[in-house]
Parts: sequence; C-alpha cells; structure tokens
Amino acid sequence: MIDNNNVILDVRAISRHFGALKAVDRVSFQVRKGEIIGLIGPNGAGKTTITNLVTGDLKKNAGEVHYKGTDVSSMQPFQIARIGLTRTYQIVKPLQGMTVEENVLVGSLYGRGNRINDLSNARKTVHDVMELVGLYKKKDFMVSDVTLPDLKRMEFARVLAMDPEVVFLDEVMAGLNPSEVEESMELVKKVREDRQLTIVYIEHIMKAVMGISDRIIVLHHGKKICEGSPQEVRDNPAVIEAYLGKKYAKEVMKANE
Amino acid sequence: MNIVWIVVAIIIFTILPNFISGYYIRILTAIFMYAVLSQCINLMSGYMGYLPFGHVMFFGIGAYMTAILMRGNLPFIVAMLLASLSAIVVSIILGFPVLRLRGHYFAIATIGMNGALMTVVQNIDITGGARGTTFPIIMLPPGQVYSYFYYAFLALMIITTFAIYFIVNSRFGFAIRSIKANEDAANSMGINTTNTKVVTWAIAALFTSIAGGLYGYWMSFIAPDEVFDLMFITNSIIMMLIGGAGTILGPVIGAFIVETVSEFAWSGFMEYHLAVLGIITIIIVFFVPGGVIGTITEKIRDRKIAASIKSEVAANDR
Repeated sequence: MIDNNNVILDVRAISRHFGALKAVDRVSFQVRKGEIIGLIGPNGAGKTTITNLVTGDLKKNAGEVHYKGTDVSSMQPFQIARIGLTRTYQIVKPLQGMTVEENVLVGSLYGRGNRINDLSNARKTVHDVMELVGLYKKKDFMVSDVTLPDLKRMEFARVLAMDPEVVFLDEVMAGLNPSEVEESMELVKKVREDRQLTIVYIEHIMKAVMGISDRIIVLHHGKKICEGSPQEVRDNPAVIEAYLGKKYAKEVMKANE
Repeated sequence: MNIVWIVVAIIIFTILPNFISGYYIRILTAIFMYAVLSQCINLMSGYMGYLPFGHVMFFGIGAYMTAILMRGNLPFIVAMLLASLSAIVVSIILGFPVLRLRGHYFAIATIGMNGALMTVVQNIDITGGARGTTFPIIMLPPGQVYSYFYYAFLALMIITTFAIYFIVNSRFGFAIRSIKANEDAANSMGINTTNTKVVTWAIAALFTSIAGGLYGYWMSFIAPDEVFDLMFITNSIIMMLIGGAGTILGPVIGAFIVETVSEFAWSGFMEYHLAVLGIITIIIVFFVPGGVIGTITEKIRDRKIAASIKSEVAANDR
C-alpha cells in the first residue's frame, strides 16, 4: 500500500520566522504515497506552522515544498487545494450561516480540480462522506448549532469531499472522549484504505498517533529532532527530553538500561 | 407554492397600471428601482459580506454614459447596454485593488472612489459639469411615458431577482456565500476568492448601471450630486436589512415596506422621515437581525429540525 518509490510530498529545508522567533527552522521531510505520518511535538513546536507553510496559508521565508514534482511553496491556498493537497484546521473554520451539509457541499463543489460542476453529483459525494463520518443525521443543522466534536467531523467530511491526495489533519481528535478517539482512529485508517489517501497527522493524543502512524516526525522549537517508526521515536532520548525535561529523560534512560 | 405567489404577484403588477393613477405608478416605479439597487447590495453584502457603500458610482456611470451616448444619436437600448458594459469594465479595474480590503475599509474605499468619480464628472465638459445634462425628450403623452418606465423597471426588477436567485444557488453562489462565511477557509477549499469577488461586483455593477440609465431617461435631467448621491445606497441598505439580508425576496419586500412607509411619513412629518427610518433600522438590527424573510425562514427551519429530532426520539423509543 505504501509506495516507497513514490515521494508525493517533499519538504526541503523550509523556514519561517516571526520576528526573532524561528517558528520553523530548516525542516525537511518526505512523505510517500499512502503513508500516514505522525507529526508531533510539544506546544509551540511548529506543527501547525509547517501545515500552514505547506498549504500556502503562510508564506515561507526559505525552503521549498515539492508536491508531485512541482514546487508549490509560492502558490496560493486555493491553487494548492485544487491540485489535491489540503488540510483541516486545528481551530475549526466552519462556514457560518450555512448548514452542515452545505459546508461539506462547498468542499465537494470546489476542492481538487474542477471535477464536479453540477450540484446533484456534488450532493451525492456529500451524502457518502457524511455517512462515513457519521454526521448525516445532523446535515440540516446550522454549523452554529452543533458541538465542537461535530464541527471537527464536519471539517474532516469537508476535506474528504474535496477528494484530495494528501491531507494534513491538524488535531482532528482534540476534545473527543476516549471511545470517540477509538472511532476516529478507525475512521482515519478506513479512509486511507478506501481512498488511497496520504495523511500527515498532527495530534497530541499519543495513543492515537502511535496507533495509526507508519512513521513519526518529532518537532521541538521549530527543528526536527527525530524521525522514525513509533517504536524508534518512543525510545529516542531527545524526544523524551523534549517532552519530559532533561532530568527525567536521564532517569528513563537509566531505567531502560 | 412560492412560485405560484410570485407568478400571481407578477400578473397583478403587470395589469395594475390600468387601474391606478399616475402618482401611484410613479411610487411603484421608484419601488421597483430601489428593489434592483437593494438586490445588488444584497448580492454584495447580504451574500458575500462586502458592503459597497459607494456602489452608487455605477448608478451614476450608467446614467451619464447613457445620456452621453444618446446625445451621440444612439437608440436608448444600445446606449444603455454600452453604459452597463463600461460600468462592468470600471468595476473590474477598481475591483482588483479595492476588493483586497475587508470590512469597513472596503466600504470606505468605495465611498472615496464614488466621491472622486463625482468630482471628475462635475469638472469635465462632456458630462455638462456641475450643471448636469439632459436626455432627449420622449415624444409621447406623459401617461404613456410613466407606464413605459413602470414596465421597464418592473422587468428589470424581475430579471435582477431571478438572475441573482440562480447565481446564489449555483456552484458560483456557494463560492460567494463561503467568502462571507470565512474567506480563509473558502480559499483553502479551492475557491479563487479574488476572482469570485471581482466577478460578483461586476454583476452587481451591471444591474445597478442599467437602473441608472433607466433612471436618467425617466428623469430626463441628471446632475452629478443627484446620481452619485450616497442616499440611494443608504436607502437600499435599509431596505435590505428590513426585508432580510442574504434572502432572495428580502430586498424586494424591504423596498416595498420602506418606500411605502417613507411616502406615508413624508406626507405626515416632512423632514422627520429620515429620523423615523433611522429608528426603525436600529430596532430591526437589534431585535430582528434576519429581517422579515430571514426571520420567517429561520422559524421554518427550526420547526423542521425539531420535527426530525422528535421523530428520531420516537424511533428510538420503539
């Protein structure tokens, strides 16, 4: 399923500064077609900033982002979305004043390419993805009338309706209870299988990240400190230090020996 | 159901001039004209979230270009169409820089442009300067002239409303509404927000300039401070708010309510009518922000959702 020879997204030494703060500092990584990559790191590590740089929401200071062989780092967000690279927002951005169904419909009407031009075809896609994420019953609710977990589901449905190839999921599970997290993990896996999606997955819930990622990239203070399988990352001293501090990291390493 | 009422209303307004006096025909003509302007403001503000306060500039462009072209011996229809074409060109040229501004900044920038344009019109020869300009006299009895403009504005109102109805319910319409809802999210969903905004403003400019051309010909004399008067837009905004911003029939209903009330208040209070309208507007914005149509559709939707929840609960009990 993972095509090791097919690097679909190639981030090369991308940087972004806010004043003196290096939010993202020369970070490079590659994503292969069909992979689920976990992107983790303590608060302020630069996870969301990287997402913003890749999808064009923020302008880079240096570096390149190659998607399917073309440099997309100076394109506008809508152009990037149209070639199949998209994201959800950590802080949900619902289209206010519309129903849940209409929100997803916009994703299906636009999104990748200009595939669907007529509303009836778009509505069919919407019906499918809303069933998939379990939101169909609430389709006629205004987005202002549904709960945050439902808005997160709605964003996920909206992204799926856009028919992307690569998706950055920015904390889609925040605010979910344990059984909902379980459900959501199954959903992400299922979607990857069904749609041959490539997913970059940003999450604080370690159980979820460890459970579904093929590889994990760890960021700290805007730098990539580690990359590898979930097991490798878990045992990496630099990662433990970033999360738990120097003193505790030493104790953990001692205990492991 | 709805469509039946609309057809009935159209038929009534078509045969109405045979039964009412010239005074009421003139009032209705003004209502139709305001409905067109309000509909254009509704497309820009109610649906897209960009309030073009200086939008009256396209009304002025329509009126002046029609007048100038008619003096060049072009027939009215041709002059009017060329005038609206020039309004579209202006809206596109101005749109690309000015539609980068959001919220109040956009509104204020359009006021500035309208002022600049008015000053130009006041100071060049071809427009007749500040003294204004005239249209060729229509060689018909006054009664016939009045019903001519009555039907012209009625047709324009119907065409504008149907056109905007089809636009906002199309794929492009979802792009327009997404921009109001969340421009950044719209952009990241693959919507070219800049082009969408410019095209939408061009559509609004088209209908506004046609209304301007018709208005000029109807009045047969226009002056810069009249056809570039921001009051046209202020009134249109009030109508949109009262009828229901972001609803398709709101501006039409609002135009009827406001014009009827201000006609009534005019004869009753003379110069107080602006104050009355101001107070009504404040009350509407505070207590019924959806306007007439918005409040009704909200009630209907709430009832639908309540029913669906009820039926679900009943199904679970079984």
